[in-house]
Amino acid sequence: MDVGLFAQYVMNGLMLGMMYALVAVGFTLFFGVLDIIKFSHGDVLTVGAFTALAAFAGLHSLGLDSKWLDLVVMTVLATGVMALLGMLIARYLVMPLRSAPALNTLLITLMLGTVLRESVRLFYPQGANPKPFPALLPKSSIDLGSFNLRLDNVLMLVAGSLVIVGLQYLLNRTKLGLAIRAVAQDEETARTMGVNFTAIVLITFAIGSALAAFAGVMNGLYYNEINFGIGLYLGVIGFSAAIIGGLGSIYGAILGGFLFAGLQTIGTVMLPFASAYKDVFAFAVVIAIMAWRPTGLIQEKISERV
Amino acid sequence: MIRTWKIASAGLAAAVLLLAVGAAGAKDKVKVGFIGPLTGGVSVNGIGGRNSADLAVKLRNADAKTKYEYELVVLDDECKPNVAVQVATKMSADKDIIAAATHYCSSTAIATVDVYHKFGFPVIVWGAVLPDITYRNKYPEVHRVNGTMINQNDANADLVSKLGYKTVAVIHDTTDYGKGHNEYFSKALAKIGNAKIVGTFGVTAEQQDFTAELTQIKALNPDVIYFGGLTPIGVRIRSQMDKLGIKAVFDGTSGIVSDAYIQGLGPLAEGTLAFREGAPTEKLPGGKFFMEKYAAQKYDNPPEAYGAFAFVAMDMILDTIEKVGPDRKKVIDALGNVKDRDSIVGKITFDDHGQNTVPVITKYVIQDGKFVEWDASEYASGKRKLPGQK
Amino acid sequence: MAKAVDKAGSTRAPLWPGLAAVATATIYLMALLAAENQALIIVLLGTGITVVLAAAWLRLLDRASHSFADHEDALGGCAVLAALALAAFFHEDHFVLLLIITVLLYTVATLGLNIQFGYAGVLNFAGASFFGIGAYTSAVLNAHTAVPHLVVLVIGGMLAALIGSLLLLPVLRTRGHYAAVVTIAFALLLKTFLEVNDVLGGPQGLQVKGMKIFGWSFNDNIQIGKITLSFYINYYAVSLLLLIGAFILVRRLERSWIGLNLDALRLDETAASCFGLDVVRWKITAFLIGNFLIGIAGALFGMVGGFVAPNNYTFADSLLLVSILLLGGIGNPWGLIVATMIVVVVPEKLQTIQEYRFLLYALMVIAVLLFRPEGLLPRPIRRYFPGWQP
Repeated sequence: MDVGLFAQYVMNGLMLGMMYALVAVGFTLFFGVLDIIKFSHGDVLTVGAFTALAAFAGLHSLGLDSKWLDLVVMTVLATGVMALLGMLIARYLVMPLRSAPALNTLLITLMLGTVLRESVRLFYPQGANPKPFPALLPKSSIDLGSFNLRLDNVLMLVAGSLVIVGLQYLLNRTKLGLAIRAVAQDEETARTMGVNFTAIVLITFAIGSALAAFAGVMNGLYYNEINFGIGLYLGVIGFSAAIIGGLGSIYGAILGGFLFAGLQTIGTVMLPFASAYKDVFAFAVVIAIMAWRPTGLIQEKISERV
Repeated sequence: MIRTWKIASAGLAAAVLLLAVGAAGAKDKVKVGFIGPLTGGVSVNGIGGRNSADLAVKLRNADAKTKYEYELVVLDDECKPNVAVQVATKMSADKDIIAAATHYCSSTAIATVDVYHKFGFPVIVWGAVLPDITYRNKYPEVHRVNGTMINQNDANADLVSKLGYKTVAVIHDTTDYGKGHNEYFSKALAKIGNAKIVGTFGVTAEQQDFTAELTQIKALNPDVIYFGGLTPIGVRIRSQMDKLGIKAVFDGTSGIVSDAYIQGLGPLAEGTLAFREGAPTEKLPGGKFFMEKYAAQKYDNPPEAYGAFAFVAMDMILDTIEKVGPDRKKVIDALGNVKDRDSIVGKITFDDHGQNTVPVITKYVIQDGKFVEWDASEYASGKRKLPGQK
Repeated sequence: MAKAVDKAGSTRAPLWPGLAAVATATIYLMALLAAENQALIIVLLGTGITVVLAAAWLRLLDRASHSFADHEDALGGCAVLAALALAAFFHEDHFVLLLIITVLLYTVATLGLNIQFGYAGVLNFAGASFFGIGAYTSAVLNAHTAVPHLVVLVIGGMLAALIGSLLLLPVLRTRGHYAAVVTIAFALLLKTFLEVNDVLGGPQGLQVKGMKIFGWSFNDNIQIGKITLSFYINYYAVSLLLLIGAFILVRRLERSWIGLNLDALRLDETAASCFGLDVVRWKITAFLIGNFLIGIAGALFGMVGGFVAPNNYTFADSLLLVSILLLGGIGNPWGLIVATMIVVVVPEKLQTIQEYRFLLYALMVIAVLLFRPEGLLPRPIRRYFPGWQP
């Protein structure tokens, strides 16, 4: 395989990995703060992508056609609305069930995911059909041998990395980040120290959902198409990635995301008969990893009260 | 007081009279069915077909001389074989529905033939092109008015070879529809012998990401990429081809002959080839009549490529029921003897497998956002050139 | 409230409330299934809900459930008679019989899920996948071998249990959400595997030959004198027998020391192992028995429908089975029957909500989880000694 082809595969893997990582980080954040898995995260991504599409349609009907303006407004609107949605979900569905067995929260968020997905399918005009997503990034590309380097892919990679770096900065260098980490570590002590628990939880959900919306917009720009089912697929992969990396660890989530994308790319390259088997391969590896390390690659420290 | 009584009794008399007139003129109601993909990626074709079948029923009901009044029962098969089997079972199990015009997607049509045979339910297929639907078994219940994919793939291979292309990569979906296209195109291309197939790739009908297949294809560097599948994945593959910088000709089948393909791609659709059995709707013998009546009903969607055939299928069903009455067995017997029957798409004859022959194949190329016939296009005359065209 | 006192001196609830409940339910079902007019169906459903709420408020439901608890065998027999009455009433109507068979078989599958989830607390979000494994087994074995079809059912169950055992190691070692991800990943993996695998038919699926026991073909209508019975009656009989068997199994299991062990291990694993219970062994038993039941139900359903495709057994369908379990009340087999009927029959009858049904199920389950986590018919307290009233 020549270098150009190899580079093409690497680029594909990086793009996928970036999207998976963004979703996985959301899962890890929620788990860290509230010890719950919010299965509807993937479908929040779908709703975010469709919000962006609706914003685009709205902007167009108002006659505003500048690509950069559209892009900025769509992203801001999608992330903002999803942040709000995330906060609502936290306030009314997740927090009341904190005292119930963890199973109920899991089930409720699974069902909520179904509600979100079906709502998009039923209530967005012609939601059941795949919808073209506008191509708003510059289309120029450079040909390096047999490797076609596109400007929009590079831009998306850069944007995604900036977002992740920004998140790291937020968590490690600001007071808010300190509060989030405190709540994730020990809820009771954080409260004793004067941290407003409810506010922090809501803010964390807002951040995570905004990340999902950003990933949704990226997905739309990459494939130039969205449909109501992308959230389920990305959600499960993001969740598996977060688990592989170990829940509660941001680095683990990013690692897991790129690892999963790497698994899929390796599957594509090595399995000659059909690249369709790449999903089977990747999921099988996930199950195997769960059997080997039941709490992920980066061990979670759990103590159980008897 | 007396005035009120007078008015009331007059009103009652009028009502009774109206009821009597209504009852005397009332015809027996007969239910006929329509199955097509009303949701999902190919819904525009399904909705176009449904509107056309609905048009046939409306025109028939407006005719006062008919013996029965018809009601159209519509079910959605979502272009998924398992859903199709469920709705086919539901429709066939309902004894009130006498016959139906069924299926645009070949994957659904081939899955349901056994169901119709099991229940003895006569159907006429209006849009699916897989030959196996009528030729795998000899079921008296199954008929088809549109052509099969064999002829369009012959024409396809012929054009590709004539244009001087040497290497073709094949992408097909893994349903029986895509596999059928792959089989017939490969055979046709091999018979002519000018071009050869450098790689064959199967993709799932809902696949999102084709970068893996397309990267491998890029390494093979073919002149033409032949696509055997439906519009949604056609759109995705074409746009991802562009992302990876692949400059081959995109050669599709009747599955992408749909406005949704052009809408989904915009300027990228330029220069795509496609083939279809049957003349374009305007050029059919009854085409003008059909388009006029269709426009008069003010439907939201156009009839699309196979609307005319759906109209014909439903029309034939209604004709047959008028002649033999609402009885499934009699309808099956009558449909076994169809020779040179007139219709808006020309003369219809069912062979011993219930298949009609449609001799004309239309070759399309997309020019300036429209499907243009190849011979009339600027590509054929040389004013524009497809990638790699000599 | 006066209770009958029998010879042993213990008080037992009278039989008649349970009988009344079964009788009213049967008549209501007959009316609901026979009604065609949408307005009538809405009225019936509204009446049904109001009657149930009124009964709950008037404490009539408590009486009925006590009577069920005390006279389970007799009332079970009555329920079987009611099922036979339904079959006789609808002996000609294909679709209604198919609907009831679906209810019966989904109940068997959910009973299997109940053993895993309700009794042993083992999460299984791949219920539909094991159902599919059973169905594909019957498809392949019927088409290529001469194995008698009853044996095929058993093989279907065993294969589902066998493939489930591949997941044993991850399922045993993980807890809570990690365990959830294992079965979810498996559900997606199996669907993708079935879709890309041409040997098993790929996305087109496989046709399943109808059942034949000792030369009696299940796919022909039965003629007794002048009465024609729909061929679904054959499948109805077998499904009913299967449900009775599964129900008795589950009940006996629950009441036995095995059930006690499973409950202990679900409620507190650490304490159970302190008491010497072999946690691993019981989890394995529950998981395998549950999958066996689901597999048998799937194998039979494959033969009833005559068609299997990967799209029938997706993650969404697994979630559907879990919703039925939660709605009906985890751990209560009677609740499962009621919940399955609601989930399967209502959307079919109320055509207008057909499209919205997944949305409505999810909303219902969310409501149940928020406000009544025990489900519609919560599991009654365990009877530790025979004849003892809690």
